[in-house]
Amino acid sequence: MTTVAYSSPFVPAEWIAAHGLRPSRLQLRPARCEPAAGVVREVCPYTRAFVGAVLSGPASLAVVMTTTCDQMRHAAELIERRADQPVFLLNVPSTWQTAAAGELYLEELRRLGRFLVQLGGTAPSPGDLANVMLAYESARTSLQDARESMSARQFAEAVGAIDGCQGPSRSWKTAPPGRAGLDVPAFQEPHPSGWGYRPTRQRGPAHGQAARPAAGGIPLGLVGGPLLMSDCAMLDLIEQAGGRVVLDATESGERTMPGAFDRRAIRDDPLQALADAYFGTIPDVWRRPNDGFYEWLGHELRARQVRGVLLRRYIWCDLWHAELHRLREWSPFPVLDLDACHDENGSPGRTAGRIEAFLEMLA
Amino acid sequence: MNRTARRITLNEWDRRYAELCAAGLREPDYGGPLRRHVDDGDLRLLKLRMDDSAASLRLWNFLLTEEERLHRARAEGKRIVGVMKDLGTVPVMAYALPECVAFYPDGAWWIPCVMERSAGLLDVADSLGIDDSFCPVRAMLGAFVNEAHFPIPEMLTCSVGATCDDVSAIAQRIEALGFPILWWEIPHRRRPDPEEAAVELPGEFRAPQSQVALVRSELQRVGRALEALTGQRLTQRRLSAGIARANRVRRCLAEIRRLAFTASACPLPALEMLIAEMLAIHFCSDQQEAICVLEELLEEVRHRVDAGTGVLPTDAAGVFWVNPVADLRVMNLLEDAGGRVCGTDYLFCHALDPIPEDLPPMEALARTALADPMVGSSADRAGRICEDVRRFGAEAVVISHVPGASHCAMEGAVIGEIVRTRLGIPVLEIEVPPITDSMEPTLRTRLEALVETVVNRRRR
Repeated sequence: MTTVAYSSPFVPAEWIAAHGLRPSRLQLRPARCEPAAGVVREVCPYTRAFVGAVLSGPASLAVVMTTTCDQMRHAAELIERRADQPVFLLNVPSTWQTAAAGELYLEELRRLGRFLVQLGGTAPSPGDLANVMLAYESARTSLQDARESMSARQFAEAVGAIDGCQGPSRSWKTAPPGRAGLDVPAFQEPHPSGWGYRPTRQRGPAHGQAARPAAGGIPLGLVGGPLLMSDCAMLDLIEQAGGRVVLDATESGERTMPGAFDRRAIRDDPLQALADAYFGTIPDVWRRPNDGFYEWLGHELRARQVRGVLLRRYIWCDLWHAELHRLREWSPFPVLDLDACHDENGSPGRTAGRIEAFLEMLA
Repeated sequence: MNRTARRITLNEWDRRYAELCAAGLREPDYGGPLRRHVDDGDLRLLKLRMDDSAASLRLWNFLLTEEERLHRARAEGKRIVGVMKDLGTVPVMAYALPECVAFYPDGAWWIPCVMERSAGLLDVADSLGIDDSFCPVRAMLGAFVNEAHFPIPEMLTCSVGATCDDVSAIAQRIEALGFPILWWEIPHRRRPDPEEAAVELPGEFRAPQSQVALVRSELQRVGRALEALTGQRLTQRRLSAGIARANRVRRCLAEIRRLAFTASACPLPALEMLIAEMLAIHFCSDQQEAICVLEELLEEVRHRVDAGTGVLPTDAAGVFWVNPVADLRVMNLLEDAGGRVCGTDYLFCHALDPIPEDLPPMEALARTALADPMVGSSADRAGRICEDVRRFGAEAVVISHVPGASHCAMEGAVIGEIVRTRLGIPVLEIEVPPITDSMEPTLRTRLEALVETVVNRRRR
């Protein structure tokens, strides 16, 4: 058993894999409220599902969680008290504008490394780490290149496969892993007018070129937190109703893929390059301030000629719920709120009806 | 002072105020009958039972005139700092500077209760998409938008990181509405690794030295912003003096708590104790007056203890209370049910512990900030609760959930489990919204059942 389960895109799978362990970002099914587990009420369905999966699913070597969401922070403690496997809580700073915040994240990765070694992993050499990083980056780049030819479900599942146990070795990977400094996109300087942590990875189809909306589908942006496996049905619903997700900006999608690794840093200090790419480029609503999220989203929505935005959020998720009103006021495109509690028997029908009405309005 | 101490209604307070005046009551400039606050909209006072002492009258008047005090400070040209979330640390820095006043906009969470929702703050929050799935702290958003309560501060700070999502998300909305915020990081307090340099924190917690260093650097950043705002240097000398003043408040409160929680006859009701403890956070916008208010309260408590008089029956069930209540009336309910408060964790224990005075002041403040029960694990928090339960002799624990609060969904399970295992005493979990009138019978029944359980355990 070498699998290390984790919950957040701010846990670099590369770092776990470089230690010779199998990173697995859990793909979750909705779980019922389980009082015995201590998850009583007012818990978002994702957190509940994560707790349920760890406590009742196949045991992993360890679980890595983060502080990016307060419910998950508390869930880490609950799991630690009830599960057999050790739990590592990675402190991911909410602030990003100071050097100290970046240093804290880097130091937390080093602490995670020591934890992985204690589990039986092997501390990687800089070269080994760089190779793993480039393999993951290559897989992500290939996946983005193939984005346009995939359905929303296929893309979400493919992202999940990279983050999951399968790692970067999948069929959409068209190029072999490059070596440091070779056959990989050039590092971009931070955006001069941006939030300082502008994504360095070129995102989107064909590396930033304006995407062509697929024929017959209304181009949509899907925004929100992590998806559950059952949400793939929602992705199908969107396409069946005449929409096409050209931007998956959920936590499970391309928004949370790290930016391109700094080619100089990856030679000199690959762990620093890893930390910079993850902490320095992934936009999210929990960051303070979170203007970078809107800056990134605005750029991507325009580049992909989106006509409508779907916000997928869970009941009791304050972080996304609080942004709904702001997103509606900010967005030049209509925004549809898709709240989910995953406890309602009638939920799929309700969601379908809302999506259909939204797309009829956009047509 | 020979009269019997009692909890009295507002109508009774009208008569009591006349008695006190006739007896030569001397009040500060914010003094006066409590009735006038009802006329100003503080309708909840009509449903509360309050302590009948002159010291408590001063305490209530001090609390209920804070907005006027802030507006007066603004008119006098003082610099006003709105401090969010950290509950007790940044105000010590702000009050170390001359002509600087700090307060917690989060404190607006009690306005819907005190004004029985007549201020409409929750409606404003609703209209901005912050509905009742959020903690009642959402009232703060309404107060920023309608500007009908506190003056808009010239500087806003908010600690983030290991904090509840509600405040963080709502503060972000406030910033997006055009109120810039200085965000500073407070990391989740973790156990030091075996070979890692660690330091002791107030409250007997331990943290890695590296975390303390991070918080210290963040507080220094806040300090530089305060200096820029006020044009004054936040020197070590000023900070040390500020810490000494804060500690005077904390020492006074510590003694009030010890006496109130351990005396055989409870000398001060839970409601006044809650308000008194709150003064430790930001001194109700006047540090010097807060000290005077608390010292008079301590004198009253000492007098009652010495005289053997109290506001509750001597056999009242001792309850340790976890988390503040959104509806103040619930503190009355506990006492009406036959209980008394013997120990509290209102989420700001770190604001009650003395700040170390034998350390460089910023280091001392960093350690204090990291001792916040909210930034550590619930197990840490439960450990401290258990210690305090033993110290104060509480016989049961009430975990009062704040509706919608991100930390409340799971912490109760951990705290309850640890308390039951270590102490073997009853634990009751309840949820308290800003107005509990519609659910009062249920709450009362649950609290009565807890008290009966405690009484039955005494007979064993």
